[in-house]
Formats: sequence, structure tokens, C-alpha cells
Amino acid sequence: MLAGVGAIALSATANAGTVRMTVAEYSAKTGPYFEQVAKDFEAANPGIKIQFEVVPWDNLLQKLTTDISANANADLSIIGTRWLVDFVEQGIAEPLDSYMTPEIKGRFIETFLTPSVMNGKTYGLPIAASARAMYYNKDLFAKAGLSEPPKTWAELETDAKKVSALGNGVYGFGLQGKEVETDVYFYYAMWSFGGEIVKDGKSGLDSKAAVDAASLYKRLIDEGATQPGVTSYAREDVQNLFKQGKIGMMMTAPFLANQIRAEAPNLKYGVAPIPKGPGGDQGTYGVTDSVIMFQNSKNKAEAFKFLDFLFQPKQRIKFTIDEGFLPVTKAEAEDKYFADNADLKVFTSLLPIARFAPVIAGWEEIADTTTSALQRIYLGQGQIEPTLKEAAAKANAVLKK
Amino acid sequence: MTSKRVVAPYVLILPSFVLAALIVIWPVNELAQLASHSVNRFGQLRDFVGMANFRALLDDPNFIDALWRTGIWTIGVVGGAILCSVPVALVLNEDFYGRDLARVLVMLPWAVSLTMTAIVWRWALSGESGMLNSALMDFGIIDENIQWLAEARTAFPMQILIGILVTIPFTVTIILGGLASIPDDLYEAAALEGAGRWEQFRYITLPLIAPFLNIALVLNTIYVFNSFPIIWAMTQGGPANSTDILVTYLYKVGFRLGKLGEASAVSLVMFGILLVFTLIYVRLTASRGAKA
Repeated sequence: MLAGVGAIALSATANAGTVRMTVAEYSAKTGPYFEQVAKDFEAANPGIKIQFEVVPWDNLLQKLTTDISANANADLSIIGTRWLVDFVEQGIAEPLDSYMTPEIKGRFIETFLTPSVMNGKTYGLPIAASARAMYYNKDLFAKAGLSEPPKTWAELETDAKKVSALGNGVYGFGLQGKEVETDVYFYYAMWSFGGEIVKDGKSGLDSKAAVDAASLYKRLIDEGATQPGVTSYAREDVQNLFKQGKIGMMMTAPFLANQIRAEAPNLKYGVAPIPKGPGGDQGTYGVTDSVIMFQNSKNKAEAFKFLDFLFQPKQRIKFTIDEGFLPVTKAEAEDKYFADNADLKVFTSLLPIARFAPVIAGWEEIADTTTSALQRIYLGQGQIEPTLKEAAAKANAVLKK
Repeated sequence: MTSKRVVAPYVLILPSFVLAALIVIWPVNELAQLASHSVNRFGQLRDFVGMANFRALLDDPNFIDALWRTGIWTIGVVGGAILCSVPVALVLNEDFYGRDLARVLVMLPWAVSLTMTAIVWRWALSGESGMLNSALMDFGIIDENIQWLAEARTAFPMQILIGILVTIPFTVTIILGGLASIPDDLYEAAALEGAGRWEQFRYITLPLIAPFLNIALVLNTIYVFNSFPIIWAMTQGGPANSTDILVTYLYKVGFRLGKLGEASAVSLVMFGILLVFTLIYVRLTASRGAKA
């Protein structure tokens, strides 16, 4: 009995210098990477211990929800930046400004830091960032008599038809219609036609741009320019078709290049910007994940010390290369690996036009509504205009709350 | 009669009662709390809102659709599994060479995680590279790939089929238990009276395994009604919520959209449905027992 009490007392004192962090598992490399960082940090900062919980991405929000409601959350956590607004509004995330020196703030590329700034306060540091560009299969393009990737959506439509005409289970445009980011895949075209997800507090789903974009995608489906049954293809499924050489073009994140290198090294592919719309508009989706500190953390100083360490060039460069993301700090971007990488250059060149998921409460619900509406359109179960109008009305109801 | 006699049973029953209360009543009470309050996405209670969360459900066509679909799903899977399991169990109950191996083979799918089974089927049903399409092509049954998971019309029946497939082992086990309890001389006597195999099955086997079929019915219903992995791994209830059943709907509302109040309300509705079902069932079996 006494020994037990002693043990509890001991562990309590040990906890004083322990920083716990919940980490999203991006790949098999994530866990070992953080183990190594913890080891290096502990060697440099005796007295502070770092503990990680590595959680698969799909379960991260669920785990955080459970932890927070039980008041058992860690000191730091990686979150999707688009969730941040909930964390801030409910007083769960701690503003980091008082800990941050101008030097630390200056490390970041502005584009990626801004999504975690709310009401003038910085609530998170971007740990992972990506943008989207178009991958195209050079062999299929050559076979279809195409010399370069399309620059506009109109060109994309003709090119996709030409590639599909090759037959043999080859399709021009890989279209995603299932699970997470089905809506994002649609925004690529919607932005190019001059649309906005949310404009002046109202959904842009009933705009002309949205209707034009949906009509374009529906036409691609009906013309056989996409793979059949798009509503059964999640992002990974379309990427797999691309890796198998069955898809002419698709839009996705930088990490597909890593996967191709490992799984289909003979595939000849190129990376090109997202095509432009008739008015010259163009847009790509930028995504960041951030590290936040919890307001109820008892080791804030230690936790920030660790963040400072985590965002130093050596740690950052290894992480970003491992996971196939884009650099978020200026020092990373200057590193040879990123500066000389032709594929990544296309992605970084798109950053000035990158748009992020709007920072609004209820965003997930709007995304879900949009996805459902698109799936009905893709399946031919709904007329384009009324279906989008209905979705816009639902989204507006969420926006008003 | 002493007062001791009156109190003693209650004292004896008290520990189990407390335990049951902890296991059953406490979570239900927590759910009721969540369902009657406005709850932020981190599960922290805010204002009391009464029945608002339930009303929000009734206003959501996806909930009503999921409710109906849960009925089709449960009846389809449980009914299909029992219909398929009776003949399988009858065969496995016969004495033949390799019976032990056959029994192991039938039980084996049970040992595989449901999620893994569903993922394997997701691959098998994939439109362009799926095994099922290539097999059907080879046999000349189809000449164009079927996009199984692209719409509910093909996806949902396939999910029910897979549900039946994975429910068979457990159901067969229960029925085999029933068959083993029937003494052989009943059949011998019936054969002497000139009863054929169908009559033996109809008048001896079926009535005697009825209690076991009842167990299979109730346990499977509860289990299938709440079963999440098959539908989630294959379609996540999509496209456009057209394969959602109540649990997948609940998961989406709770963890994707962060509306924990409404999710708790769904959960209570599900609890209610199963409770009613169980009560009706207990009544039915009790009265039938009394008649016999």
C-alpha cells in the first residue's frame, strides 16, 4: 500500500517536466521521426521529457474529442488547421503570441502561418503543408498525340477525351467522387471559373461558376472522359489508377510523387499547374496542419521550448522530406532538396493562388453537404442547378448559426 | 415469517443490481444528458435544450432514410443468415468423411476481423481492378465492368450479402448446438412410422431447434443492427448518404460534423428500438413457453 502511494507520488513529480503531444500519423515514418526528435531534444534539455501518442489521421479528431471531454488531453497536439476555429471558440487552444519571439515568428512562410491566426492571435504553428497540382501521364499523352499538359479546362476536356479514346481501360481524367475531399476536387474547377466557396458570408454553391464547374465535370463523366463509377473512387483509389498508368490526368498533393517513386518507378509523369478557367482564373487548394497548445496544459513553458526545437531547420527538413509535404519555414525552402526539385517547384509556384478551407464554424457540415450534392449530380440523380441551389441553402443555414 | 426472510433476497440481489446499474444505467443516463443539452464538439455540456436534438433528427431526411435502411439491412442480413445457416448446419451435422475440416472451414471467417473482410471486399468489388468483375468477365456473365460501390443500387445489396456471409459462422454454431441436442431415437422412431426426410425435418428438427433459432435471431438482430465495419469500410455510407444505416449516420453526425448532442439522440433512439424489440421478443417466447 505505502509502496503504491510512493509510486504515485514519484510519477507525479516526474510528470512535472513531461510534455505530452498527440501526433497524427502521416505515414509509417511519422512515429520513428518523433521518437528521434524527442531523444535529441531530451539530450539537449535535461529535465524535460517528451511523450508522444501517435494516432492515425482518421481517428485524430475523435481521439481529441474524447480526450478533451474527459479533460485528459495532452499539452500539444497536431490538428487540421480547418478545425482550429472550434478549438479557439471553445477556449481550448492557447494563444502562442506571448511565447513567440519575433525570430520564431519570422521563420515561417507567411502563407502558411496566416491560417492559424485568428482575431489577431496566433493559435497554431503550421507543421505540415501541401497544395495541389495536376499530375499527367507522359506516355499516355504521347500515345494520344498530345505534346504538353492542358493549360485551360477547355483544353483539358479535349485532351481527356483523346486519352480515353485510347481504350483498354485507360481514361483521360481521374475524378474523385467518394469520401473526404470530394468537394475539394470540385473546387479546382469552381475556382477557375471565378467562384468562391463562401463570399460575404454566403455559400457560392449556387453561383454561375459552381454550375459551370459541375456541368463540366458531369459532361466529362457522360463523355467517358473520366473513369466510370466516379462515386466509388476515393482519393487513394484514383491515385492507384494513376500509378497503374490507367489515368491521363489527376489533381493531387505532392506526396503522390513520393509514392510513385517507391511503387511505380517506371511511370513517366509530369506535374503541371491546375488549368485556368475562361476568365483566366485559377486556384489550388492549400492545406495546413498546425500544432496547438492546450489552454489547460500545466507545462506551457516546457511545451513551447519543445515547439521551438521542433521548428528548427534540421528537424523540419527531415520531416518534410519524409512525408512529402511542402516546406513551411523559409530555411527549409532554401534547402537543396526543395530548391532543386522540379515537381515541387510547380507546387510552390502555385502557392500565391492557393486557397484554404474557410475558417468558419460548421465547415465540416458544409463540406459534407457539398459532397452529397456533387455525388447526386455525378450519379445523375439530380439536376445540376436545383441540386446546387438546395446545397447552397443548407450551407447558408449553417453559416447563419 | 421473519423480517429477515423478506430482506435477505434483496440483500443478495443487491450487488448484481448495483453492477447492472453501473454498466447499463450510467451510460444511458450520460447519453440522455448529452441528448438533452446543446453540446460543443468536445463533449462539453452547454444549455439545456429539451427535445431539440430529437426534433433536429426528425427534420433530417438522411436520418429517416437511414432508419428505414437499418430495417432492411437488419432483416436482410439476419433473415438471410438464418435461411442459409440451417441447411449448412444440417449438412455439418451429418456424419461424413472430412466433417471436422468442413466445420473448421465454415467457422474460419469468424476469426477474421470484420473490418479486414470488408476491406478485402472493397478491393474485390472495385470497378476497374476488382476480382469480382474480372471473374464475371471470364465466365462471360458480363461484358462491361460493373461499378459495384458507385451507387446504392448495387452497393447496398452487396453489403447485405457480405453481412450474411459473415453472420453465417456464428449462426451455424448455435444451430449445430441445437441439432446435437436432438436424440437419434426420435428419428429412428419417425422412420419406423414412415416419415420421410422432409417430414422428419418439419416435425422433429425444426420444433426442437426453434429455441436455438430464437437465440440466433435475437443475438444477430442486436449485433447486425449495431454493426458498423462493413458499411463504413466499403462506402462510408455514401454516395450521398445512400447506404447509411443508423450507426454510420451516428458516427458521421457525432465525429465528422461534431454534433454530439444529435449523435446521442440517435444513439438513444437505437437503444429504444432494440429495447422494444427485445421486450416484444421476450413476451412472445414467454407466452409460447406457457402454452407448451
